[in-house]
Amino acid sequence: MATAGLTARKIRTLLIMLGPILGVSAIVAAIGINESSKGHLKAKLQELGTDLIVVNAAAGFGFGQDPVIEAAAVARVGRLPDVVAVTGTRQLSDIVTVPFSGAEDYYRAFPVPVIATGPELPDTLEVPMISGRFLNAFDKESSARVAVIGRDLADEYGYLAGESRTIELNGLEYGVVGVLDWVLLEPSMDSAVFVTFAAAVADWDLDDPDPSRLYVRAPTNTAMVAKEIPIVVSLGGPDGANASVPTDLLDAQSQVDESLNNLTKMMGGLALIVGGVGIANVMSISVIQRSSEIGIRRALGHSRGTIAVQFLFEALVVGVFGGILGALVGAGVVWGVAAQRGYTMVLSVAGLAGWALVSVGVAVVAGLYPSSKAARLEPLETLRLG
Amino acid sequence: MTVASPQREIPVGEVVLALEGVSRVYGTEVQVRALDDVSLDIRAGEFLSIIGPSGSGKSTMLGLLGVLDLPTDGAIRVRGTDVTRLADAERSRLRGEAIGFVFQQFHLIPHLTALGNVETALLYRGLTPRERRSRAMSALEQVGLGERHDHRPVQMSGGEQQRVAIARAISTDPGVVLADEPTGALDSRNAENVMQIFADLQSPERAICIVTHDMDVADATRRRISMLDGKIVADEMLGGPSGGLAETGAGAGS
Repeated sequence: MATAGLTARKIRTLLIMLGPILGVSAIVAAIGINESSKGHLKAKLQELGTDLIVVNAAAGFGFGQDPVIEAAAVARVGRLPDVVAVTGTRQLSDIVTVPFSGAEDYYRAFPVPVIATGPELPDTLEVPMISGRFLNAFDKESSARVAVIGRDLADEYGYLAGESRTIELNGLEYGVVGVLDWVLLEPSMDSAVFVTFAAAVADWDLDDPDPSRLYVRAPTNTAMVAKEIPIVVSLGGPDGANASVPTDLLDAQSQVDESLNNLTKMMGGLALIVGGVGIANVMSISVIQRSSEIGIRRALGHSRGTIAVQFLFEALVVGVFGGILGALVGAGVVWGVAAQRGYTMVLSVAGLAGWALVSVGVAVVAGLYPSSKAARLEPLETLRLG
Repeated sequence: MTVASPQREIPVGEVVLALEGVSRVYGTEVQVRALDDVSLDIRAGEFLSIIGPSGSGKSTMLGLLGVLDLPTDGAIRVRGTDVTRLADAERSRLRGEAIGFVFQQFHLIPHLTALGNVETALLYRGLTPRERRSRAMSALEQVGLGERHDHRPVQMSGGEQQRVAIARAISTDPGVVLADEPTGALDSRNAENVMQIFADLQSPERAICIVTHDMDVADATRRRISMLDGKIVADEMLGGPSGGLAETGAGAGS
């Protein structure tokens, strides 16, 4: 009976529910997406391992030359007590890769990175091959023209597992022997071509097979090893190196996400407040339109308090349904985003209920003014006697 | 109008509603004395009318009798209790228990069915939904609309809507039914029908008080109170068919 006023005006009821729905869904979605992506990040950190160190060569005195880490320095890093694996890489410049003949212009404009590296790269990064094999010792010794490609490039290239195809690097045909799975820490590798240092030296006039970057796996004392590496590399000499643990960076990045997330929450809060104002507004109009009904109810013996409670109850119903619908819509958005990005959905039921309750609170507060206005209506004025 | 005058002799009981020296002044700077020191007793079993032209103060009197308004001076007693001294919740409760209203414009709630409208009067009285429903149904049956309980006001004629309003007024077993121009919005046939229902509803437990400017309606009742300029100018018992006009010439003004 008390909700008859709501069901009789379905469109209006839906419209005033929009405020709470939007507000709650925005907040729930912001929190849910953040939690899910954090959960995803955690899983990712677990997967990456927090024990991988990335070492970049820093510029020494050699002007006009890309900084490199000399072979002797690489060996010294490898001999550090906690280090279990070291692999160097060097991105080769000025190489045009053409996976399809006829696509030269496109790949000149958007060059595919070509990376020289050693056979141990998949082991050091702990990334599996999805087909074929990685570069091996034989390739290294023979300077064979073989290449491994990243997974995204393979997709773009239309490479089928086991297919014997070649890829053209500056006009030289390299045989594709395998596809490396996604490298979460280095997404640029997903669309790269890997060749051996030996092939790079033989075909591209590389001065020396020295890497510009090292990937170092140190399961124990990772932070300490990261600190030692620059010292071990330079040994007081001019050549330097910077070492970092990328998972630390990811953590820092998630802090940045947090502030964006707070912004979304604030906007959701704003939507809730505006929604509350909307409820107050529409209900005030409704009180005027229903003044004769209010007058009758007063004549029938309903007290001012009863009338106020009736309108508050209507606001409460709007808040409850708006809150529940908003929570559901928000949860749906989180689910959709999680599915799209491959996250596992993380959503706390207590959080959903909590935000739905906030919507109820906002609606009730918004209903206070129209309810008291309804209660103060004089029945004689609305009934227009004789 | 040829409403059958009530021939049944209904015993008149105790006072259910009384005005004691009641005045009502509207406005602060320019004051209008709509009701001036009026006293009136309404007893259970009475079937009376209050008649007067526009501006005679009869609507003000109705508002005060119905406890929808409070007097500037004097007391309103509902079953002996002076309602001017009560808080709103108490006053509302007493109004709901003791008084039933019928309005010229019916004032049914449009989104409720006939039954729902009658049930509205029975809310907040500690009744179970089942009791509410059965009392509302029996009230609708008394006005001959039992079978149309699930119709909405728009699906009913004016006469039928007014009968729903009457059912709503009697559903709570009030001591007084106050009707404000109950036939004013109806054609003559429906008006006769409504007046017949009022006549049939007379009982020793309840008073029926009709406020009107229509002399035919007033003459169909058993006691006629004539008003002019905020005062009662005549209070006559009507024995049978018309007992002659009051000295006020009431009804001529409107």
